[in-house]
Amino acid sequence: MAIVKTYQLSKTYKSGSFKKTIVPALVDISLEVSSGEIFGLLGPNGAGKTTFVKILLSIVRATGGSAELFGKSVGDTESRAHCGYLPENHRYPGFLTARQTLLFFGELNGVQKTKLEDKAVELLEFVGLKEWSNRKVQKFSKGMLQRLGLAQALLNDPQILFLDEPTDGVDPIGRKEMRDLFVNLKKKGVTIFLNSHLLSEVEMISDRVAILNKGSLVKVGTLDEVRGGVTVHQIQIGGILSPEQIRSTGLNPDVVRSDDSITTISVTTDAELNRTIDLLRSWGIMIKAITQQKSSLEDSFIKLVTDGNTP
Amino acid sequence: MKMLAMMRFTLFEAIRRGTLIFYFAVGTIIIAAFAIWLKKSPDDPTMITMFGTSMPGNINGMSSAEFFLVMLLRQSTFWIIVLGTFGAAGLMTSFLEKGIVELYLSKPFQRWELFVSRAFGAAAGVAANLMYCIVGLWLIFGIKLGVWHFGFLMAGLLVSYAFICYFSLVAFMAMWFRNAILAIVLGLFFSFISIGLEAREKGLYKLWNNTLYHRALDVIYYVTPQLDGMLGNASRLVGQMPFSPEPVVFNPAPFFYSLGSAALFYGLSIYYFSLQDF
Repeated sequence: MAIVKTYQLSKTYKSGSFKKTIVPALVDISLEVSSGEIFGLLGPNGAGKTTFVKILLSIVRATGGSAELFGKSVGDTESRAHCGYLPENHRYPGFLTARQTLLFFGELNGVQKTKLEDKAVELLEFVGLKEWSNRKVQKFSKGMLQRLGLAQALLNDPQILFLDEPTDGVDPIGRKEMRDLFVNLKKKGVTIFLNSHLLSEVEMISDRVAILNKGSLVKVGTLDEVRGGVTVHQIQIGGILSPEQIRSTGLNPDVVRSDDSITTISVTTDAELNRTIDLLRSWGIMIKAITQQKSSLEDSFIKLVTDGNTP
Repeated sequence: MKMLAMMRFTLFEAIRRGTLIFYFAVGTIIIAAFAIWLKKSPDDPTMITMFGTSMPGNINGMSSAEFFLVMLLRQSTFWIIVLGTFGAAGLMTSFLEKGIVELYLSKPFQRWELFVSRAFGAAAGVAANLMYCIVGLWLIFGIKLGVWHFGFLMAGLLVSYAFICYFSLVAFMAMWFRNAILAIVLGLFFSFISIGLEAREKGLYKLWNNTLYHRALDVIYYVTPQLDGMLGNASRLVGQMPFSPEPVVFNPAPFFYSLGSAALFYGLSIYYFSLQDF
């Protein structure tokens, strides 16, 4: 079942005081996010990721197309009652303590007051802020604010959690804890919509990803589909050879990289692998290692974004 | 419950910003000053003394206690309202700041609910302080002089009402410009203009003898909250303005017109807010 559904969703901004210039932020985005999955929305800065999430939460109004949450138009207030949201660069009133912050936002979420106190304590413990519960938020570090933001987003036991750069400012251990937390939430049936430019993080936990570039949807699918399912063979040889030297031998590898005293030659097909090995051996070059790797999300992302692909 | 939570939070924010505490302190000082220095004259119980100065028992046909109450209402409420905008206008822009407005809007809240609870939370803080001051003075006059003037209490309620109506304009400016200082400056400008508009037939009309100009002034007068008219009429519940030739007649019209005006400006603010992207 699709929890998020958009059809040709578009957003344009007008800039300039007198002579208005129309700036497209999103162009005809059609995608679906299914219940219980971790969905990663990727894109370079300014690609339109935050705008997309804000439209789903009625913070920004779309200028074209349609968007639905839980089968209802995104303007429907009740559908937001089942959403949790951790915005990018969020700010909480500095004069509130962590506990007061959760109590206040819990009330805004419509959580019953009788349950709220226990819920706040439980979530503060969950995100590792129990000992800071009575400290004023203005004294919190960026990482602590992110944790508090996450607790705030979970107050209403959401069915879908929108996370905009959730690990921004969080230390590596905290990031790992957050990732584990997202996976646990997924196991409980929570759908997670993850906006991030940290590709490796998205790659570790996402079921499906979409790549936005300049407001357009470049690619959407499972990780394998987006990565292209390409397997790369890497041959490591001793000594430094330039790409030109290798190509002069008739070999045509995809990537040649030289670090210190080792050169890595990457080829994608089995035939190319065997031909390269034969040639290298016939020249008496020592092969140090051969490894097989799937192309990373980062490789595909860079290729898709720099090629200026649009669907 | 959500709206109440937002109103409560707005009041809390006003306290934390110090504005409400400042008003509370000013109100307490005024009440304390009257509690200490307002006395019946030991020589003549019909006379009262304030700061050690005796006042005649009858001033321009009204008791000296009434004279005091009228002067208090007429001379101080305008400034209390003007000062009230300083704190309350800031509350109308702070919730629109980047990073926090997204959090509010992502909640299962209609935008009008958010705006109304915020605006009334901000206005309620000032109105509550105003009532605190009025009730305090009413008690002091009752306890020390035996003057239990219920018209004064009623006038206090009307002054609070006047502030809520006037604040619609300030809230609209704050929403439009997203700048508290500009909203305050324009609000202050309007509050002074309202004095001129109230007496436009004797003043502003004479600046230019042109029907279109006169009608334009009338439109501004009826479309905007009639602050001076409301405050003047509120004080008439206590007594006539001393030395004024005008009779003591309470006119409810400015309150009705201002209600319509407040509905217009709060409505415009909500409409504008509902169209905004954040």
